[in-house]
Amino acid sequence: MAFNILIVDDSPAMRRVVRRVVDIAGVDVGNYLEAGNGVEALVVLHNEWVDLIMTDINMPEMDGEELLLEVRNDPALATIPVLVVSTDRSEGRVRQMISLGADGYVSKPFLPATLSQEMYRLLGGTPNESF
Amino acid sequence: MKASEFSGLIPECCSEVLDAMYFTTVLDSQLKESMPAEPAEADFLSFHLRFVGHISGRFGLHLSQGTARSLAANFLGEEETDISSADAGEVAGELTNMLCGSVMSRVEGEDRFVLSHPEPGNLVVRAGLDDALISRLDTDNGVLTVWVVVDGEPCRL
Repeated sequence: MAFNILIVDDSPAMRRVVRRVVDIAGVDVGNYLEAGNGVEALVVLHNEWVDLIMTDINMPEMDGEELLLEVRNDPALATIPVLVVSTDRSEGRVRQMISLGADGYVSKPFLPATLSQEMYRLLGGTPNESF
Repeated sequence: MKASEFSGLIPECCSEVLDAMYFTTVLDSQLKESMPAEPAEADFLSFHLRFVGHISGRFGLHLSQGTARSLAANFLGEEETDISSADAGEVAGELTNMLCGSVMSRVEGEDRFVLSHPEPGNLVVRAGLDDALISRLDTDNGVLTVWVVVDGEPCRL
């Protein structure tokens, strides 16, 4: 089964790195979808089938926290797993995002294996052994 | 908290970030009194951002185009010859964000903080004039200058 993955980050370089890690992990990806902030992400979510959202927190226009709330409060989107990928490693922030409905939290800098394991935990399956 | 209290954290956090995502080792670190005087500004990249939390201030990174290109190649998993100036700039901006996030996560602990988007441009920082700390990091991909300026008034979110 191929998964559609939405990567939400205001850094195009970070979106490229996440795509690369997903590729190396061997996840069967149907489509990579990208957004630079929460507003753009919601447009994608209302127009495309998405199996997993990977989102940063600090972004212009609409941050990852607001995006998470929008997703969890929309019956059409509420069941999509959300993995937060953020530079903010403060314990308060991690607890807050999980309490708001995030399914996982990976802090930057991350090891490729850590991101891969979290993705497989949320999507099902086993990480590529090269990790 | 004074900027001088970041002196141990900066090399430690930079090592962690550079090692994990840029496959680069910090070989040495030194505190400096002022930013390096560069012969040609066009050959260098500078980014800075604002952090707001229990402690607020500005954080910046200064590095040569060559170092930025080399780090970008490592970060993106591409050949250095395939890295454009735009790639090097994007990656240097993201590095600024990650370095500051790593430092602030250690400083804030339980507390939340917000980082602004990294902006290009060199700010004049002098350790003797501002509550600032300037750190030179020698890595196996070149030299990075990292600075932090702490605001006078602490700000709570």
